[in-house]
Amino acid sequence: MKVLLDVRDLSVELVTKTGLVTIIEGVDFQVHEGEIFGIAGESGSGKTMTVLAMLGLLPRGARVSGEATFNGINLVGLGSRGLRQIRGRDIAMVFQDPMTSLHPMLTIEQQMTDHLRFHQNVGRSVARKRAIELLNEVRIPDAEGALKAFPHHFSGGMRQRIAIAVALACRPRVLIADEPTTALDVTVQAGILRLLNDLRTRTGLAVIMITHDLGVMSLIADSLSVFYAGRVIESGPTSDVLTRPRHPYTRGLLDALPHPTGAQDAPLVPLSGTPPSPSARPSGCAFHPRCSFAVMSCRASLPVLEQIGDRRLACPIDPFREAM
Amino acid sequence: MTTAERGLRLDEVHVEFSRRGRAPVRAVAGVNLRVEPGQIVGLVGETGCGKSTLARVAVGLIRPTSGAVWLEGARLNPLGHGVRSRQDARLQIVFQNPFSSLNPRRKVGEQIADGPTILDRASKRSARDRVLQILEEVGIPKSAADRFPHEFSGGQRQRIAIARVLAASPSIVVLDEPLSSLDASAQAQVANLLVRLSRDLNVGLLLISHDLAIVHHVADVVAVMYLGQIVEAAPTKQLWSVPLHPYAEALIQAVPRAGGPRVLPDVVAGEVPDPAYPPPGCRFHPRCPYAFERCRTEWPALLEVSKGRSVACWLQTPGDAGASPSMKATSHRADVADG
Repeated sequence: MKVLLDVRDLSVELVTKTGLVTIIEGVDFQVHEGEIFGIAGESGSGKTMTVLAMLGLLPRGARVSGEATFNGINLVGLGSRGLRQIRGRDIAMVFQDPMTSLHPMLTIEQQMTDHLRFHQNVGRSVARKRAIELLNEVRIPDAEGALKAFPHHFSGGMRQRIAIAVALACRPRVLIADEPTTALDVTVQAGILRLLNDLRTRTGLAVIMITHDLGVMSLIADSLSVFYAGRVIESGPTSDVLTRPRHPYTRGLLDALPHPTGAQDAPLVPLSGTPPSPSARPSGCAFHPRCSFAVMSCRASLPVLEQIGDRRLACPIDPFREAM
Repeated sequence: MTTAERGLRLDEVHVEFSRRGRAPVRAVAGVNLRVEPGQIVGLVGETGCGKSTLARVAVGLIRPTSGAVWLEGARLNPLGHGVRSRQDARLQIVFQNPFSSLNPRRKVGEQIADGPTILDRASKRSARDRVLQILEEVGIPKSAADRFPHEFSGGQRQRIAIARVLAASPSIVVLDEPLSSLDASAQAQVANLLVRLSRDLNVGLLLISHDLAIVHHVADVVAVMYLGQIVEAAPTKQLWSVPLHPYAEALIQAVPRAGGPRVLPDVVAGEVPDPAYPPPGCRFHPRCPYAFERCRTEWPALLEVSKGRSVACWLQTPGDAGASPSMKATSHRADVADG
């Protein structure tokens, strides 16, 4: 399948009161046409920062290096004028909370047609027709009526479907969904996941799915990268990584989850310690202070993300190798 | 009621919010619920089903429109301007967001000490001892007492919020989405802590959550709420193995599992109706795949079908061995065709 987005050695530094802080370091991944690619990790691991860096949406003063190639164009260093042509048209984004990502004072029609008219230079009536099509596509009942309504008229699940419709207006090639179902109930979540899955099979849309919910990942992502402290520590086909994790961190995340068929009376197994703050990342492997397999070399040298078959792993110890 | 009654009991609680010029919203429409000491009761349901309103009624933050809340056999007085009685303070609540429920300007130890000093008039010294003891119970280092909330992670803060509640020596604690702002690992720590509290300190917990996987793991009994009413209540294991209400069935099968099969769950048709205009008959019937004539007109009461298990569904009858809604629906259709 065709590679739509090729990210290589992406790093981000932010200016803070205490100086430059590295948020993202050497992130690599590829997203193919029609693929749902997952970015997993705890809060603060750099999941959202990675996609914001690609789209040039970081706060002023942030320094981005590396490459993010979309359609032969490197998005890093493209400048705001160039990015404006791509954002919203070729690469669109859906955020976690549809209550804040939709404008509360604008009708759905205004929010759906503005960027359509900007990017595709079409008239009001054409844009309106397209908006109705889109609302039908995301199964909003009475699309014509919905255009006149405001976001607060809809339930959370409907609002998120509208936010997806807004993002899809210009027929983007890549949709970035940042925790799109985290604020929603499981039954509503199922509807959103079905919608995304349906879109990629029908239209070849590539989806970057950012979520800390490994259950959601298992349902929908073809492949995933696990982030820890601003780096990818493990990646590969989703079912493979989540049923046979090799990095102690991925393993720890999975062990902390309640198991639906497991012994109810056994306590859950949390990871020890807490994730490091970006300004005080440990030397060597950033996970070593929390890792029960850590040896001297983990403290000293940064592990390389090595290719092993169709997977990648940043752990030279590889404690679960035998279980493969 | 005799004074021998223990724990928390909600008795036919209704809550109606009136709105100027519009139909009132019945957020809670007739809920009966019990929480015994040492028991963990999970309350699950979709956003807007009335879970949080019920939590607030249970601790007296909202006055029920009708019905009553009983704590250890005495009627709980809704919170007013006056001082709450020591008895009523044995009922405590933990909120969702530990970033806003702790005071950012007061040291952790001072906030926890409020319980013993205000409620039990403990001396400074004995309050301090109690604080250190409680911090140990929730697994936070004693040095935390002299630090501020911002110095802790979300999971630690939630444990501090629980410590503050424990300082009032509660018999019942209501927890409103205590885990939903936390990462998996922190969730696991807090979940383990909750189980330990109920077992070791014999505290009864009403755990309100939309995270079914966690509720399944920790709760002894689970009540499923839909549009202001409890539609099924059962021991957790039984509910998970054979849910009797179609809504409970839909909820449980929609829970994704990490490393599980890649099969997208079925979607419940339609949207949650406006609680100001609930549908006639069974409130779930417009979305229920098994609904038949009776469901559209007659409202099913929550009836006990087997010991400790109740369900509000016309497909289920008391004394009948529990079978899933899909099986029941098949036999119901056969009965209708025969007769």
